[in-house]
This record gives sequence, C-alpha cells and structure tokens, in this order.
Amino acid sequence: MNYLFFVVKNAIEDFKKNKTQTFLTSLGIMIGVFAVVMLMALGLGLKKYINDQFAQLGKNTLFIVPGKIIQGGSFNVAATLQSVKFDNRDLARIRKLRGVEEVAPIYSAQTQVKSSKGSEEGTIIFSNEAFFEINGFKIKIGRFFDQNEVIKRSKVVVLGSKIAEKLFGKPDLAVNQRLSVSRISYTVIGVIEPEGGGGFGGPDYDNYLFAPYTTGYIFNPQKDFSRIALQFDDEKFTLQEIKDSIIREMLKRHNDDSFSLIEPGEILRAVNSIFSILNFVLVAIASISLVVGGIGIMNIMFVTVTEKTREIGIRRAIGARKKDILFQFIVESTLLSLFGGSIGLGLAFLLTLLVQRFIPAYIDIYSVLLALGVSSFVGIIFGVFPAKKAADLSPIEAIRYQ
Amino acid sequence: MIILERVNKIYHIDQEFTLHVLKKVSLKIRKGEFISIIGPSGSGKSTLMYLVGLLDRPTSGKILVEGKEIETFNDDDLSSLRNEFVGFVFQQFNLINKLTVLENIILPTIYSRKRLDFNPKERALYFLKKFGLEGKETAYPNKISGGQQQRVAIIRALMMKPKLILADEPTGNLDSKTGLEIMKLIAKLNHEEKITVLVVTHDIQVASFAERLIEIKDGKICRDTKVR
Repeated sequence: MNYLFFVVKNAIEDFKKNKTQTFLTSLGIMIGVFAVVMLMALGLGLKKYINDQFAQLGKNTLFIVPGKIIQGGSFNVAATLQSVKFDNRDLARIRKLRGVEEVAPIYSAQTQVKSSKGSEEGTIIFSNEAFFEINGFKIKIGRFFDQNEVIKRSKVVVLGSKIAEKLFGKPDLAVNQRLSVSRISYTVIGVIEPEGGGGFGGPDYDNYLFAPYTTGYIFNPQKDFSRIALQFDDEKFTLQEIKDSIIREMLKRHNDDSFSLIEPGEILRAVNSIFSILNFVLVAIASISLVVGGIGIMNIMFVTVTEKTREIGIRRAIGARKKDILFQFIVESTLLSLFGGSIGLGLAFLLTLLVQRFIPAYIDIYSVLLALGVSSFVGIIFGVFPAKKAADLSPIEAIRYQ
Repeated sequence: MIILERVNKIYHIDQEFTLHVLKKVSLKIRKGEFISIIGPSGSGKSTLMYLVGLLDRPTSGKILVEGKEIETFNDDDLSSLRNEFVGFVFQQFNLINKLTVLENIILPTIYSRKRLDFNPKERALYFLKKFGLEGKETAYPNKISGGQQQRVAIIRALMMKPKLILADEPTGNLDSKTGLEIMKLIAKLNHEEKITVLVVTHDIQVASFAERLIEIKDGKICRDTKVR
C-alpha cells in the first residue's frame, strides 16, 4: 500500500471516529474561508458589473459636462452642481470637428408619466438618434427614433424595459401605445433590451424614457443641455488629439473651469483602483479569522498528540522515523484545515448563487485556488508545532504512556 | 548477535532524584537463542529489553548489534534497525485500534525503507491463515479476543523477517491456557524459523520455555544459566 495513501486514510479514519471534534476544529477555517471567498466574490462581481457598464460605452466615447470635475487630482463634487449649460451652438461646433463622428446632446427631467394602465414617476432623457449608438443600446421591440423625427419634433418615445413593464404590463404591449409626459402625448415606438443598470452607480436606464431633444424644449425653454456625449474615430485620431481639439473649440465660448471632458476609461480606472483597495482591505480583515482558525487547529492538534502518545510509541517501536510521525501529524492538520476550507468554499458558492439574484457576485478560479491554498498553508503552518512535539517524543516514554 | 558491555541506564526523574535502573550489565545474545529474563517488578528487566530492542540508548556502556556500535547510529538508523531487525511483542498487545487487523500487520512494511522481497498483503494473509486468524483481516483489534490480538501482534513482529523477537510479558494479559498457546507459538518460531527470542517475564512457567535463563535483580544480572 502506498505510504501517502496509508497516512491519509489513517487520518480520515480518525476524523470519522471523532466527527464532532473534527467539525468543531475545522469550523474556524470554514468561517474564515467563507468570509474571504464571499468578500472576494462580491468585490469581483461589483468590479465586473462596473466594467461591463463602461464597456458598453466603448473606448471611443467622451462626455462634455459642466464644471471642473477633477481639480488638483481630486473629485470636485460641487462642480457637478454648477449651472453652466451647453446649447445648440456648442453642439454644432463640436459636430464640425475633425474626427468627431456622433454627437448627442443630453437633457434629462424627472416627470410624471401616464399610460392607459397607470402612472409612474420617471426620468426622461431628451437626446437625438446618436444617443442610442453611443450608449450601445439594443432594441428589444419596435425601433429607435431617427434623425428625421428629431428634426420634425415628433412626439415619439423609446422606453426602458422596466418602465415599459410598469406602464403597460408587458414590453410587447407598449409599442404604438400613447403615453402622456407632463400632459403632452407621446407615441411609444420601441422598447430597449434590459441594460441591468442602477443600484451601483450608473444610471438605471431600464427605468428611463428617451425622446427627441427637440420635443423637450417645453421642459427646457432655454434650449440648453446638461451634457454632450460624443463618439470619435479612434482609428485615425488619438484620444488626446480629440480632447485637445474639443477643449480648443469649447474655450472659444466657455471658461476653462466651466466644463470638463470625461472619458469612461478614466473613470473606470479610478473606480477599479478604489474597488481593488477596498476589496484588499476587506479580504485582509477577513483573513484574521483564518489565523484564528489556524490557532484552533493547532490547539486541538496538541491535544491529539497527547491522546495519541501511545500510538506514536507503537509506530516508533515498529520502525517509524521522526519524519514519519511529523508527516503523519502535518497531514492530519492539513486535511482538517482543507476540510474546513472546502466546506467554507462550498457555503460561499451556495450563498453566491443565492445573492446573484439581487447583487452581482461571482467566484472565479483564483478564489477557489486561493481558498484551498490558504487552508492547506494554514494547516501546515499551524500543524508543524504539534507534529514536532509528537515526533520528538522519546519512543520508550511514548510506548510506556498510560 | 547483540552484545551489551557494562551498560548503565540512569533515569533522571528530576534534579535531585535519579534512578539507577541498570548497573554495568554485560550480556551476549547469540543467534538462535531463546532467552528468558526474569526478575521482580522494578528490577530493570524491561529497561534491558528496550535497550536491546533499540528503543532507548544506554547512559553509558556499549551496545553492539552485529558488531556495530549503536552509539554511532542516528535516530533514523535506529528506526530502520527496529523496523528490519527487531520484532516487538508487548503485554498490552499494542495494536492500533483504529486500524484493521490487516493494516496493523502491514504497518511495519509501510515504514520500511528497503525494497521488500515479498508482497505485504500476501505475507500477512499467509500468516493469518497459519495462525488460525483467517477471516479476521478486516476486523478491528478491540473486536477480537486477547489471544487473537496477541497473535496479530506476533504476525506484525514477523512481517519484516526479523532476526530477533522481543516479548515483554507476552502472556501477562491472557488466561493461562491462551498464554501457553502463545508461548508455544513463540517457541515454534524459535525452533523452526531460527529467530532469536528474548522474553521478559516474572512467570516461571513462561520462562521455562527458554533454553537460557537470566535473572536480574536491582539492575544487575545475578544469574545466567543454560537450562536446556
């Protein structure tokens, strides 16, 4: 019989005989691994979610927003409240710039929306046909509005999937229905695919309505926009070239501190680094429970060594070397720890499946490897001292131990 | 085969109290002998056996195994010698209760460093059959009788084809009939397999199986006679 197999089988037989003790001993590691894996799963889920949101925008997208958002390397929250707005002339100037492919003005309003079935509070975004392309929206049913409808000030509206459901029961039933937005009647021409936004940063587009900006002047008599979104040709022009030419153009009509250019990639990097740090700190805190679990294992292993003194003596008498005894106990503590780690991992996996319905979370292969690696490592490290004690027992004293 | 020269064994219980268990014991164990060591409790006979069995080292004096002084051996060497050269049989049988009979028997082969010229399982089953324990291989030691346990212990001692079997009160936990059977078995191994046997006992009937009788008292050999 293979040596390792024999040692492992021995340890497992021991665990089977002391099920309660085995379970309680590995409980610490179980909780530790569970906490660490769960936090990593939530962190990863959140990060992936945010990345997906930004990925939709594409790397050739830029936003012009009012105020100086980043000042001296830090976010200037007050800037976003500034009232400087952009208008049609800005739009026309930006559109003319070389490399700029699509430009969408954005104005949004919070308003009461009524359908034949009911009434909802909703956010309506007034923009043009380019908005859908820039945001990477896909149509679920019906169609987007086109340039012609924007020019003609057609009272048409495209709905997010959730608001369509709220107003008409089913998205399929929404198209061609009439809708009143602040008492102005609009015709629903399409419903977009669910975007899955909201909850964590990012706009909840599924609850939004989208209408031609030309029809929004009733809410917005100054005819200005709170943001301009644009897409540029990233094959012929670099991001910096485009940024420079936009800034040059904007400075002709605005102050330097009254507008900012935001690129999704920049925000993404900032958010990612914040999440990485946050996640690392949380995981580090959770790791303390792994150490506590390891100490629990060490404690029980010391007791086990005393309990097994005679067995150690017998093994030594029939030829086991110190190393064999050392190995036997390290295998035992490692298996204990791995057992706890695996159960913790299993629990984390189940809980992840459960929470995935509500918040983004997922376990990747690195979390699994890390969980199993760390539990083996804890088992080995905290098993060494008890195992050393066992190996160093004098054979003669061990065998005479009553 | 084994020579003890002026061996002393002193146990230091604490800083003030020491126990001089063996006093300048010299002994020569020849190949194929059947020796009984007798003496009252605390006379040092078990200590002598454990020294011969390489479970312990003398405080002073020399122990030579097949001409080699064990002083020069490290712990691993002694372990290997115990594994290959000696087979132990104890009063309390000393089987590991969580292992099956078969696993207990092949345990010495697991710890062996040398290439085995036999299949451990086959050899174990052969002995189990020979010693009337057929069908007990998957039983656990605490589920079989004392006599059966002692036979399992003897098989375990025989697994590595030892040159020497050391038995410490092998019949101490058995009734007299079973004890007699065990002694006959040990005697048979000495006769047929030419294995050297050293039995430690305070039972004269057990000692009478031996051809050489060593009496020990207060840590000294007071009599060493050939009885057969």
